[in-house]
Amino acid sequence: MNLSEEYSALIEITQKTGEPIKTDEAHVIVHANNILASQDTPGLAIDAKETEYGVRATFTVKAGTVLEKPVHLCFGHLGKEGKQIIESKIILEEGAKAKFYAHCIFPNAIEFLHAMEGEINVGKGANMTYEEVHVHGPEGKIEVRPVTRVIVEEKGKFVSNFTLVEGRVGNLSLDIEVDVIGRLGSAEVTSKVYGKYDDQCSVRDVVRLCGENSSGLVKARVVLKDNSFGKFFGEIEGAAEGAKGHVDCTEVVQGHGCAEAVPVVSVTHPGAEITHEAAIGRIASEKLWGLMAKGLTENEAVDVVVSGLLR
Amino acid sequence: MTEAALLHVDNITVTRENGKKLLDQVTIKVGHGEVAGVLGRNGAGKTSLAYSIMGLPSYKPDLGRIFFEGSDITDLSITERARLGITLAWQYPARYEGITVAEYLRLSRKDATRRELEEALDFIQMEPFYLDRFVDKSLSGGERKRLELASVYLMKPKLAILDEPDSGVDLLALGDVVKLFKKLVDFGSSVLVITHRDDIASSCDRAYLLCNGRVMLEGQPKAVKRYYMSLCEPCADPVATSEVAYYESK
Repeated sequence: MNLSEEYSALIEITQKTGEPIKTDEAHVIVHANNILASQDTPGLAIDAKETEYGVRATFTVKAGTVLEKPVHLCFGHLGKEGKQIIESKIILEEGAKAKFYAHCIFPNAIEFLHAMEGEINVGKGANMTYEEVHVHGPEGKIEVRPVTRVIVEEKGKFVSNFTLVEGRVGNLSLDIEVDVIGRLGSAEVTSKVYGKYDDQCSVRDVVRLCGENSSGLVKARVVLKDNSFGKFFGEIEGAAEGAKGHVDCTEVVQGHGCAEAVPVVSVTHPGAEITHEAAIGRIASEKLWGLMAKGLTENEAVDVVVSGLLR
Repeated sequence: MTEAALLHVDNITVTRENGKKLLDQVTIKVGHGEVAGVLGRNGAGKTSLAYSIMGLPSYKPDLGRIFFEGSDITDLSITERARLGITLAWQYPARYEGITVAEYLRLSRKDATRRELEEALDFIQMEPFYLDRFVDKSLSGGERKRLELASVYLMKPKLAILDEPDSGVDLLALGDVVKLFKKLVDFGSSVLVITHRDDIASSCDRAYLLCNGRVMLEGQPKAVKRYYMSLCEPCADPVATSEVAYYESK
């Protein structure tokens, strides 16, 4: 497959999932360690370089810039084996607003490592949404290791949604840490994972609220079926006056799936308030009966509940 | 009822694993186009009866049978019963994260248009904007309850079992509940309403008084209401036949 064909194949897959890439919107498209396309937009600077196993890229949204359309990051590989390492840095300067949409596409991967090392800085009064959607194939044991470190400054807002519900999860080790250092800053970190077969899913979401009156939410929705295993570690630390946070985890187990949840709430400042809720286990019978009384079969009812949870 | 009943619960007994009888030799009938009420205090076994008719696994009768349109449905699953035309509006409807009200309602009728969904909501006094809301914890128990009634309204089942349709629904007055019965009957449904409210029971075509899992009294709603109001506190042992006859004659 030549570069043009790889480009077309990746674009085609993104059209079917999540938020499709439109070529008139800012984007970077990478196959293996080849940058197939890169397009910026006024107020957005992209500096991307190919490395031995992937790319190193810095995205800077200039102060006061509001990007109305999303910036698409497409990192993929159409092969069965190999590795791809993405090093990314996203900077939102003061007052900027942007949504980044990362498409991670590995439809044929069997023995593959996809690692992302991300740094994000949300400046004063800036507002950033980061969506990451993975598309994996129905077979194979892809290893996915996204590690992201985020700083949120005064009145900054960071929203992250990680979704891996298509195809095999493989071996996932998701690790996000957010430090809300400015007053009135906020962070919401949501992870949705659907484990199947013998997938191994580890999710670690941590938010530290160090700014006065800052707020945070860590939310996980994990569904595990067959013989998959999932472990969720969610932590919020309240370390400043008026800091408010909440950890919310739901793990649903079907078949021989196995789940662990470790919600951690810690308060290191007397003026902070952190709460948590965690539910782990099978889908409550009442939910299924409620749908079956409308004529759905039990399997159809399970699908409705799971698809809602992972939406 | 002169013709065969739509629903015939024939002498069923439901016993827990610990030996406690939830229902004890219960017999009730609901005719075509009829609104039947099951009246009783908390813990009388009303909801157990609703669950048993709907086919919930832990409420399967160990004695007696349940017939629907003349066929024995005792061994059918919830889904099979629903597909025959039985549904239940739950006393405490579940929450469904990530499912919108519109999607939830369409589970009752796949081909419902937006207009029909709005009409169903309007019927139970909910604004159209609810269609885009999620059926999760952002909806109050009362709102979910109304939604459940809207769902039944859309389904147009042959038999709607309404478990305490007014509980937790602040603004749904007696008149609204009766309007709901009437509308369902107009659609061709029959209604079995489970209630602890004597005024709701007295608006039915026939009523049963349930106490300690047994039918204490069956007959004209007014007679059942009178008995319930005057003698049925607290739930006592079954009354003598002569007493039942006395109150039925009033």
